[in-house]
Amino acid sequence: MSTEAIAAERPKRNYNALFGLTLLALLVLLWVILSLATTSFASANNISNLLRQGSMIAILAVGQTFVIITGGIDLSVGAVVGFSTVIAAMLINAGVPVFAAILITLLVGVAIGLFHGFGIVKMGLPPFIITLATLTSLRGIGLLMTNGNSISINNDAFQEFSRNSFVGIPNLFWMVILVGIPAYIFLHHSRWGRYLFSVGSNAEASRLSGVNVPRTIYMAYTLSGLCAAFVGVLLASRIGIGNPTQAEGWELQAIASSVIGGTSLFGAVGSVHGPLLGAFILATINNGANLLNVNAFWQRIITGLLIIVIVYFDGLRRRGK
Amino acid sequence: MTSTAQELHPAPTLQPGRTILELNGLEKRYPGTHALKPVHLAFKAGEIHAIVGENGAGKSTLIKLLTGVMPRTSGEVIWEGKPAALATPHEAMALGINAVHQEVVLCRHLTVAANMFLGEEESRFGLLQQRTMVKDAQKIINGLGFDLPAHVVLGDLTIGQQQLIAAARATVRGTKFLIFDEPTAYLTRKEADQLFKLIRRLKGEGVTIIYISHRMEEVFELADRVSVLRDGTLVGTRNIAETNEPELVKLMINRSIEQIYHKEHFTPGATIVETRNLSGKGFENVSVTVRAGEIVGLYGLIGAGRSEFVTTLYGRHRKSAGQILWEGKEVQVNSEHDAIRLGMALAPESRRDQGLCLNLPVGMNLNLPIYKRISSNMLISGAKEKAEADRQIADLRIKTPTRNALASSLSGGNQQKIVIGKWLAHGAKLFIFDEPTVGVDVGTKAEIYRLFSALLSKGAGIILISSYLPEVYELADTLHVFRRGKLVATHGFRTADHEEILTQALAEKQEKQGGQT
Repeated sequence: MSTEAIAAERPKRNYNALFGLTLLALLVLLWVILSLATTSFASANNISNLLRQGSMIAILAVGQTFVIITGGIDLSVGAVVGFSTVIAAMLINAGVPVFAAILITLLVGVAIGLFHGFGIVKMGLPPFIITLATLTSLRGIGLLMTNGNSISINNDAFQEFSRNSFVGIPNLFWMVILVGIPAYIFLHHSRWGRYLFSVGSNAEASRLSGVNVPRTIYMAYTLSGLCAAFVGVLLASRIGIGNPTQAEGWELQAIASSVIGGTSLFGAVGSVHGPLLGAFILATINNGANLLNVNAFWQRIITGLLIIVIVYFDGLRRRGK
Repeated sequence: MTSTAQELHPAPTLQPGRTILELNGLEKRYPGTHALKPVHLAFKAGEIHAIVGENGAGKSTLIKLLTGVMPRTSGEVIWEGKPAALATPHEAMALGINAVHQEVVLCRHLTVAANMFLGEEESRFGLLQQRTMVKDAQKIINGLGFDLPAHVVLGDLTIGQQQLIAAARATVRGTKFLIFDEPTAYLTRKEADQLFKLIRRLKGEGVTIIYISHRMEEVFELADRVSVLRDGTLVGTRNIAETNEPELVKLMINRSIEQIYHKEHFTPGATIVETRNLSGKGFENVSVTVRAGEIVGLYGLIGAGRSEFVTTLYGRHRKSAGQILWEGKEVQVNSEHDAIRLGMALAPESRRDQGLCLNLPVGMNLNLPIYKRISSNMLISGAKEKAEADRQIADLRIKTPTRNALASSLSGGNQQKIVIGKWLAHGAKLFIFDEPTVGVDVGTKAEIYRLFSALLSKGAGIILISSYLPEVYELADTLHVFRRGKLVATHGFRTADHEEILTQALAEKQEKQGGQT
């Protein structure tokens, strides 16, 4: 212990908020550069498009962040999204009222999350394993249910929703706000949020302090499942079909957004605003690369490099302080 | 048996008494702190040189500079007559400077043998010679007089045994200068004796030993000379024969020794908890009563069943027989949650593993048991959270810049104050402290004992587990001695002497205690 070393160190006051500001600055910088470099970036059309693109990953990233803060990981979210599009599509096509169809789909997400909690708490499986297992099997179940076909949703109102805007802002982005604000209050201003951090930091110490650790873990995965199912509903609305192979690789984008947003994969460090910004930074890069006619293959490489650079500098700053 | 060991760690060719390492104004500054003010000190080959001082006095800084973990700010280190940079741990090791740390830094999942040879594995044609390594490691261990198997996984050993392996490992690398940082913090008396034998033997072979400990009797038992650090300053070096404990303590803390074991006697109140013939894994037939305002001490060797008894009482393990009565009524404690709800609090033995969320702020650690109370419905009252944290930091006199500083940035003593202090706000009635002052300096110890008094005055009862006899002896109103899972003797406050209690704790073997010679 370098006791004397750190005794005099000034605390990182509101470190999270500061980091959020740097991310925001990065996002704004990207937008300024792209507005100057291309004619089409700053158009209202493109901006709404970008917001739509980023929204779904942003919501996934919030759920993912809850899990990562407890020191876990949820690899299943992409598959849950795909599976949820199938559930939503089938229910709506079967004539179930849209709100009921949405509710049931969300409950399916909750059930998947509870199953993850069960696997981790009761069966003692590592989060990586149980969610990996769900990832592959959910896609399989979805394919069985649809016989490998896409289901077209025959409900225009349902599909209208994701295309429409409210006071000039795409509905999908409003959904980010709808999820983000309660998530923020939950994580930063509720007891349960504190417990997510404490379990991620030291589960044993938390348990001895009277924290219900199993319940906290159940909660994290349930919320992640819920967010993923919600994104599934949004995706079904946006593309108008149910298809279990949708959202391939979105779990990795969600994890990347979370990590870019300052979440530590070792647990106990994270926020809600960070991953949201992270998701829109990723969306901006993809959008900008399209406009600049950058080869789609390169986009993936750039995203990878960006993750390394941002997390490296974040780590440097933490160590430097 | 010694001949093989001798071959494996050839004695350094040094004449005793010659200066091996000299510090010339060694100094370390961190931004904002002067951790080590210029130190001038010469270590002689083959001496055991104790370094004492409170946590934060600069001992860890000194070790880190000597082992190349951190660069110095200024000053010179002269190794065998030549200036040494000591810029990397590798360089220090190449010179023959090695350290055995308080907390074992080895790979818990590898075997003892693999750990002993980590980084210097024996291999033939690129293949590990596992069997040979196990054999060689066993020879070394036997040669050192430790009764430990070399083929088992390190993590299966007790912390004390792991510590002995760490020490053994340091001796096989041509070490000429070996630093022990609080090596006995987690050792039983017997294990400590084995370690002392090893240390004396190394000394006989001309190895210079730096021995850092909070335990004065060990310093007097082992050391030739002792240096005292206080607030980063070397305040004195003495030949051990020419000094005594009160003088050293005074140099360390500017406070007399009577002030450390702060003991207030309260009239015991109602019975808080009573166990009747409680049995479980590792202990049987234990009947103990704790009343309000009293400290019940549990003394015994590690593995005597004390910790198993309290963890069962605390609901971690199932009891196999017997009863637990809480305030006169029989209760079932099936989980820690039940225990906490009844009003028990446990400060665990290993604070890093069980007691603290190191990478979270101090304030959050302090508030963890009471978030229910400072939130209404689901939402936390930010103002209450801040106020509670600040009040506790002030009450407990925790040295931290603010409540937002990470727990990992505090010194060990201050971390321990959090582990213990967070329960004060919770308002539990029965406090169980398992080895509360391991690795904690004298000054912090005194403050922790004061916390005990504060708890007692509020009508709480305390169960105090300690392997450090003076601690339970000076503090416990009732002292129970455990041996091999059984409660073998009970004493009142200072009604038996150390000798008698030690004998009861060891009993079956009337072996000589190294400490008493």
